Amino acid sequence: MRRAPLAVAVAAFALALAVQPVLRERARAFPPLSSLPSTPYVLQDAGLVSGGLRAAAADLAWAQLLQYSAGGLDTMTDAPGRPYDHLKDLGLRVARLDPSFHRAYLYAAGILAWFRNVDRPDEAVEVLREGMRADPGESSYPVYIAAIAFKKKGDTDKMVALLESTLSDPHSPVEMKTILANVYKSRGEYEKALSVWGAVLDDAGAAREWPRARLQLAEIKALRKSRRASARPPARPRQ
Amino acid sequence: METIKAVFSYTFREHVRNKVWLGGALFGLVMLAGGLVVSALAADERGRVMLDLGLAANEIIALVSVVFLTVHLILQEIESRSVFLILTHPVRRWHYLMGRFLGTLGAVGAGLAAMGLAHWALLKLLGWGGDGWYLAAWLCSFGKVAVMGALALLLSLALTSEAAAMAFSVFFWILGHFSAELRFVADKSGNALLRSALLVFSWAAPDFAHFDYRNAWHAGAPDPRWMAAGAVYALAYAGACFALSVQVFEQKEF
Amino acid sequence: MNAIRFQKVGKIYRRSHLGRLTESVGLDGLDLDVREGEVFGLLGLNGSGKTTAIKLIMGLHLPTTGDVEVLGRRMPDVEVLARIGYAPEAAYLNKSLTGRENLRLFAALSRVPAPAREAKVESMMTKVGLGHALDKRLSEYSKGMLQRASLAQALIHDPELVILDEPVTGLDPLAIKEVRALILWLKARGKTVLFSSHDISEVEKVCDRIGILSGGRLARTMTQDEWRGKPDALENAFAAAVTRTDGVGEIRLD
Repeated sequence: MRRAPLAVAVAAFALALAVQPVLRERARAFPPLSSLPSTPYVLQDAGLVSGGLRAAAADLAWAQLLQYSAGGLDTMTDAPGRPYDHLKDLGLRVARLDPSFHRAYLYAAGILAWFRNVDRPDEAVEVLREGMRADPGESSYPVYIAAIAFKKKGDTDKMVALLESTLSDPHSPVEMKTILANVYKSRGEYEKALSVWGAVLDDAGAAREWPRARLQLAEIKALRKSRRASARPPARPRQ
Repeated sequence: METIKAVFSYTFREHVRNKVWLGGALFGLVMLAGGLVVSALAADERGRVMLDLGLAANEIIALVSVVFLTVHLILQEIESRSVFLILTHPVRRWHYLMGRFLGTLGAVGAGLAAMGLAHWALLKLLGWGGDGWYLAAWLCSFGKVAVMGALALLLSLALTSEAAAMAFSVFFWILGHFSAELRFVADKSGNALLRSALLVFSWAAPDFAHFDYRNAWHAGAPDPRWMAAGAVYALAYAGACFALSVQVFEQKEF
Repeated sequence: MNAIRFQKVGKIYRRSHLGRLTESVGLDGLDLDVREGEVFGLLGLNGSGKTTAIKLIMGLHLPTTGDVEVLGRRMPDVEVLARIGYAPEAAYLNKSLTGRENLRLFAALSRVPAPAREAKVESMMTKVGLGHALDKRLSEYSKGMLQRASLAQALIHDPELVILDEPVTGLDPLAIKEVRALILWLKARGKTVLFSSHDISEVEKVCDRIGILSGGRLARTMTQDEWRGKPDALENAFAAAVTRTDGVGEIRLD
């Protein structure tokens, strides 16, 4: 029996083993499946990951996160009085499937920290801290953490300044922009609010926010007009 | 070399004329079109979803094709006895196997390239991503296809049953995506026997994480040294499987 | 000088099914010589060892005991196959190719020099009467056409030794006549021809010598002088030499 092919096989396999440490050292490491938060989608995620479809699993999880935040996910309902109860888990699910999914951290943290009736800044910070650890290439996480800290302290000026600094970041989610626009509006800074909503309208990637942007633009313009009207000195009666 | 070329050429032609392969390509196009629809759910991450789903669909179709084709590659020629005629000519058995394997890889690679080109053009047309990274993702997918094809060839010759070879190929395919998980479980395991078994499995099974640029795309540009090491790994692992296939094939009588 | 020499060749087939090993005898100490330039007929019942003997000559099987020598080289030897032409009992051709592609493949495998290949392919296809079907797929060929395509691949490289396994089985009388003419044409050009057959009347028309196989052994050899001009001599010798091994009894006419 010829043994040459066997010898070649052993040598080739040894080479394959020898090159593995280099590959593992330089490879992008993903969190293990066991780190995924407990959701009804464990089988879906495990099935896709075992087929080598991790990025696609993260994309699907992202679409489900959006559906949930729009109130359209029947499998996950919120406890009474606790809106967006599962938002942190669903956000972390996307992030642990693909740690470089910047938008997932920012989107979940934005809602948790700034949405009306939610106000769970600690959960938002937890999500952003994970982003800092698992997605070191993205620089905006510490900025948002600082902004949340200022919000908790009631220092709105510093919070706004930090949020403004992220506007030029291409990864800055549209939700963060709309949050900033709402803060401007509540502070009576209508020109700045109009400018942010205008930028949202110009952003082709933010199409789902356009109807809200149009409504807000109309509303803020009306507010501006009424303020101007009330600021004008009263007309003198004709003599 | 001349014999490898001749066998490569007829194998490639055979696959190109094979309706199963054409069906795969058609399925790929349907998947791409489906991706366009599905990605609409992802709102402003539509480009990312379109990219991920397209790359994933291309790779899955290529992997299914290569497993299906290589599992049948030699067994069908034994069944139809056309291998008789080839081997009664001055053809070394490893030349025959090499020509058949490379011809199959060439045909699947051409299909992967065609689907990749269509996907890339679609992304460009819609103004999304692309860059030179796409080529890196394509090469990684091709490396995975080469390793999986060589493994399926070995399994088909060692098991001599198409169904068993197909089942084991799928098993290794899944195991190949779990190497890191296996090592993770081995690290946590207190049982020395289980730990050793898991580690042996994680080292012996192909580790598809070495070709996983597609899933790591959004983390940044491909590392050229990682890519080069991946190419060495693909050649070495596929080479080992191929050499074992030759060892088994040389013992066969027809 | 012998073109083929079997020296005490034994072949035992071992098959394992569900853990049970079964053995069957293909050849049992076969001693046989085929001289250069002669037409030698291998006669025998089904299971007598004719096809096993041919597969040992072609290196498709390995002898369990003894030696097979072909054109002065001990088999299996890939190099010597360049000097042999082989047509199996059925045309085991890849049906997805055209007649031209098929013959081009075998010309390349048989080391026909590339510059001469195309002309040789066309002239050989014309010689076997398939000049009009060069670019037709083999899947569209009739059984007779496939048999001719198979003969063409056996002769494309102008071999010294031609081996035909059951060349007239299933052919119409006109085709049988053509095969007979072809064998005599080869003999006239100094080629050695070995063919196996059940058909005693064909064998006696073209052979210089015959060997009768029974139960894997050479039961008898005869030269042309022993049957020429003696009606039924070969048939009677055959009936006397062989014993049924297929477990089927005689047809009883009482």
